Amino acid sequence: MTEEKLKFVIVGHVDHGKSTLIGRLLYDTHSLPEGKIEEIKQLCESLGKDIEFGYIMDHLEEERDQGITIDTAQTFFSTEKRDYVIIDAPGHVEFVKNMISGASQAEAAVLIVDAQEGVKEQTKRHAYILGMLGLSQVIAVINKMDLVAFGQERFETVKKDLMEFLSNINIKPSYVIPISAKNGDFIASKTGTMDWYDGPTVLEALDTFRTKENANKKPLRFVVQDVYSFDKRIIAGRVESGIIRKGDMIKVLPTGEKTRVKSVEEYLRNVTEAEAGKSIGITTEDKLFIDRGNVIVSDGDMPAVTSRIKANVFWMDRTPFKKGESLHFRCATQEVNCEIEKICRVINSSTLELITEDATEINNREVASIIIRTNKPVVVENFNKMEELGRFVLGREDTCAGGIITELE
Amino acid sequence: MIILAIDALEYTLVEEFNCTNLKQKFYGKTNIKEFSQPRTMVLWSSFMTGKNMEKEILARGDKEMWNTRIDLKETFFNRFRDPKIIDLPGFNYEKEQHAKERVLLRNYFDAQGNDEKNKIRTEYNNIAFEHHRRVKKEFNEALDARHDFVLGYFSLADVVGHLNFGNRMMMKMIYKDLDEIAGTIKESFIVLSDHGMEKVGIFGDHSNYGFWSTDFEDIGNPRITEFGRIIK
Repeated sequence: MTEEKLKFVIVGHVDHGKSTLIGRLLYDTHSLPEGKIEEIKQLCESLGKDIEFGYIMDHLEEERDQGITIDTAQTFFSTEKRDYVIIDAPGHVEFVKNMISGASQAEAAVLIVDAQEGVKEQTKRHAYILGMLGLSQVIAVINKMDLVAFGQERFETVKKDLMEFLSNINIKPSYVIPISAKNGDFIASKTGTMDWYDGPTVLEALDTFRTKENANKKPLRFVVQDVYSFDKRIIAGRVESGIIRKGDMIKVLPTGEKTRVKSVEEYLRNVTEAEAGKSIGITTEDKLFIDRGNVIVSDGDMPAVTSRIKANVFWMDRTPFKKGESLHFRCATQEVNCEIEKICRVINSSTLELITEDATEINNREVASIIIRTNKPVVVENFNKMEELGRFVLGREDTCAGGIITELE
Repeated sequence: MIILAIDALEYTLVEEFNCTNLKQKFYGKTNIKEFSQPRTMVLWSSFMTGKNMEKEILARGDKEMWNTRIDLKETFFNRFRDPKIIDLPGFNYEKEQHAKERVLLRNYFDAQGNDEKNKIRTEYNNIAFEHHRRVKKEFNEALDARHDFVLGYFSLADVVGHLNFGNRMMMKMIYKDLDEIAGTIKESFIVLSDHGMEKVGIFGDHSNYGFWSTDFEDIGNPRITEFGRIIK
């Protein structure tokens, strides 16, 4: 096992078998604590039933509630190739929030569809979000094949429906796999139930995906969280990408002032550099005016400093947005007020129908392409170029939309 | 008319586990505030007679109250031609089964040491599940037999809940099973619980409201004694 771990999310309609698939993945890769599966099996038998793998998720949630599992939203398993992290996405709102905030960035997705029920509104909505967030490594699984007698004809019908929708939103799944999460068909092993299918299992398909480009290799983006004055003046923040080193010539945005890194400060450690993902402090040779929300980059590199941004947003608040309303714009630690200058198009995230052009409001679960005007310049990037400064949230008191930057002006 | 009588079915868990069959079209909490304590025997006796039986039942004492057997004539069941009542406390419930459960429950709290406690808990759970499977079978047979009134009383959520309410996975499995049972009923039915349950550490204690649901009428916040009138 040499590669880095791959983070992925399982999305789809709530009743299409997400929990069962997660339970089955953990069971088939022997990633469950000893005794637990027996307990679940025994309980199912007590109720006169076969084992239901979906309850494994309940067990994991329970451990989280009791604080046994440290991480609150991630589940782990391994194949011979590498480690995997499944990011919990109980609903699309949580998923979008997690993806946009960067708290749990998925690199791949499994889109699950019930063979009997076929493509539902929620399937489409989740798929749309995958597309909007730029997730290109997608496996579509047609689950519950056991309920349709493992029939190829039904598989092809559901696959056709799904592919039609996905092609409209420019998602091309790398694989479409018929599975039965309940029985374990084509999750970890090829069973004899569907001889007409000659593609990979879910685990084989996942193993072909690449992990995201290591953020250390990208240009430096050090986002300032706070400035502390002790015996020295420490600028605290998080390295979103790149590596910051003692002696580096740096530039502070949006002012554009330059200085050199005098030291890199990490609690209880003596270091001279810090890589992507680290929350650290630095001191500088010159005393510049630096504040929360500033972004430090390498000298010679220049992301956009602008107050006008073109973006796609997913509205996820029951209270609609009405033009003229002022909102908070948050990107990394930058927080400014903004207005939506223009709502170019509003789309139904499920049917993909164009609701209106040049609109005056955006309702819950609608996707809109908009132009944002911030009241102060912010340091941002095109999402496709650098996700870390390309995603943002809009909020009132609480978050009400998540978005990605599509164009800078 | 079918009644799915479920001991200790907790409103908040029905919501949390999204038991759509148990919720039906209309659902809510019952009002049992007229009773000083939410006791199973008192509540079911009051339900079937249509009057508050607390004083009368409690006067029999803690032990004797479990022997209560109310005559059919005194209940609203007598309005039906061919009523089938399964295991209802205060009417015809399997006395030995419930006595056994109560003894094990007491032994559990008297026991010293975790090994002993775990052993008793396993035995306690096992006999409750075994009884549940029997009641479920009997209930299904009664549904097929075309009685004009069927009441199936399911005690599993209460019995297992007392010692395991903090085990969310176990409770979810039980609630989903009860939801499946509701899903098999093909005609109009009412779901009713005497009281709910609240978490006390890993254990469960009765909460001071019950649960109801119907597919035909929003009955608000009814008293348990009103169901004889609601059931046509």
